[in-house]
Amino acid sequence: MSIIRTEKLEKIYQDNGVPVHALRGIDLEIKKGEYTVIAGPSGSGKTTLLNVLGALDKPTKGNVWFEDQNLADKKKAELSDFRLKKLGFIFQAYNLIPVLTALENIEFSMMLLGKSEKERHEKAMALMEELEIAELAKKRPNEMSGGQQQRVAVARAIVNNPEIVMADEPTANLDTKTGGNLLDLMEKMNAEKNITFIFSSHDQQVISRAKRLLYLRDGLIEKDS
Amino acid sequence: MLLNIAWRNIWRNKRRSLVVLSSVVVGVAAILVIDGLNNGMLNQMLYNQISSSVSHLQIHKSGYNDNKVIQSFIPESDKVEYKLQNTAGIEAYSKRVKAFGLVSSAYNSSGVYITGVIASDEKRVSNIADMMVEGSYLTDKKDEIIISKKMAEKLNVKLGSKIVVMASTLDGSPGQQLFKVTGIFETYSSTFDKSNIYIGLPDAQKLLEVGDEIYEFAVIAKNHEQIELLDSSIESGLDDRYEVLNYKVLLPMMIMQIQLTKESMMILNMIIGLALIFGIINTMLMSVFERIREFGVLMAIGLKSGRLFRMVVTEALILGIIGTIAGIAAGYLFTLPFVHYGFDFSVFAESLKSFGVGAKIYPAVSFENTISVAIMIPIIAVLGAIYPAYKAVKLQPVYAIRHV
Repeated sequence: MSIIRTEKLEKIYQDNGVPVHALRGIDLEIKKGEYTVIAGPSGSGKTTLLNVLGALDKPTKGNVWFEDQNLADKKKAELSDFRLKKLGFIFQAYNLIPVLTALENIEFSMMLLGKSEKERHEKAMALMEELEIAELAKKRPNEMSGGQQQRVAVARAIVNNPEIVMADEPTANLDTKTGGNLLDLMEKMNAEKNITFIFSSHDQQVISRAKRLLYLRDGLIEKDS
Repeated sequence: MLLNIAWRNIWRNKRRSLVVLSSVVVGVAAILVIDGLNNGMLNQMLYNQISSSVSHLQIHKSGYNDNKVIQSFIPESDKVEYKLQNTAGIEAYSKRVKAFGLVSSAYNSSGVYITGVIASDEKRVSNIADMMVEGSYLTDKKDEIIISKKMAEKLNVKLGSKIVVMASTLDGSPGQQLFKVTGIFETYSSTFDKSNIYIGLPDAQKLLEVGDEIYEFAVIAKNHEQIELLDSSIESGLDDRYEVLNYKVLLPMMIMQIQLTKESMMILNMIIGLALIFGIINTMLMSVFERIREFGVLMAIGLKSGRLFRMVVTEALILGIIGTIAGIAAGYLFTLPFVHYGFDFSVFAESLKSFGVGAKIYPAVSFENTISVAIMIPIIAVLGAIYPAYKAVKLQPVYAIRHV
């Protein structure tokens, strides 16, 4: 059964009054627990597709179905709620909140869900131990390496047990070894927790480890393997 | 946690936060210092007027205050005096004979208000005895007169000089009497000094040929805050032949000035508030624009607009609260020494005297205004953050995340 599905998905941007067709009618179905990489050259529409799938952007035409809910029908606040409860995000530039420690960054998403301080603390610490980053708990982002920050970002993305984690170029700012370790971690989370991962990347290391590869070109899926 | 984030966000750019905090502190402190000086000046003006001549309450024949004619002496004044002696809350009272007349020396003459008093009683309701710069206060001896320093200069007289006081008597004929200057006073009001002289009560009654009649009871209350209560308590025991007027009625211009000053303080508060609001808008806008990407991430991971709005506003509120507390502390600390020692405005002494104020002003910061500032400034900070917060919530996470 698909967890997320698109129908004739189109996204047209206006660039100085000139329409740019970023997505040209994508039909896609991703099943629960899949580990999918969206690849393609720059401007192929992979980040746009990830943003639309992640309810960060609305399609110009077509629909995005999450289970039986059409995301295109949802209002801004409903989409926020949806992202909070169902999705996790990992960004290229880590994007941790600089004024919070690693532990607090992880707790933040749980705070938004209204979890108690005790529950937040216990769960975040347990996850940090599982991801072997417990020693970073009291460090702020500027005191951590890129790899450490991205591991904290992974913890933040999965702490609310999301259905899908969207990772936009998660290894782009990391060296090969650190990127590899991060991918090991996400594969482990995928295998052990059955979390669906959708990547957007042109990093060969990520592409080579994809269980499903969607290759985009000019806003269309050229290859799905 | 949002409060925690807001707090830490404030200190991300310490210099900017300190600059905006300083402006709030200076603004709040300035409001309190100006308020303190205004109140101090008005309190002194009021106190000086009350303690030199007006007293807390005056009792006259009905209509006297509006039309001070010599025929309007107090009927059955002994009954009024009995009432005063048997009313609680009265510190002291003094009987006065008052009239308008002319005082002349060999060199000059001047129109004056003549007040005849019993020295020992008057000392308990008026501080003129404490304002003597030469000679001494009245001693209830015959033909004594005390005049102000200004009057002495005008008449070109000194202690021991003889001057003539003239006034219209009860039957309309002119009365006159020779007095010896036994004391020269100087109050804080040049206006008062220019037009008031004091003689003994029997001398005044003799000059005006009014027998034992008096025109005024001047009363000092034990607690002037409850003057209305005392006013009605006395009034209830007297019939409509009398009028009992408290200082608020006797000094309508003064009371109006106090009210106007309070209102002008509100305007000043608003002007300073308006200046602060732009500083806060600027600071918060800069803070929001610096964090566009961060806000994008927060919204992407599920922070709703309302919470983001509250977070930005909370930062401004914290700045406002800290600035207000520090400003109030600074205002009070600055003012405190002057409460005892006074601000020395000797340079403006003459101008101040024309307002009935001494060269030293003892500031009195009003609790009422402090509370008003303590409420107003954080509200202003919140108002100043509304537009930046609105800009923050209007961000589209998909674009904000990519913001560099």
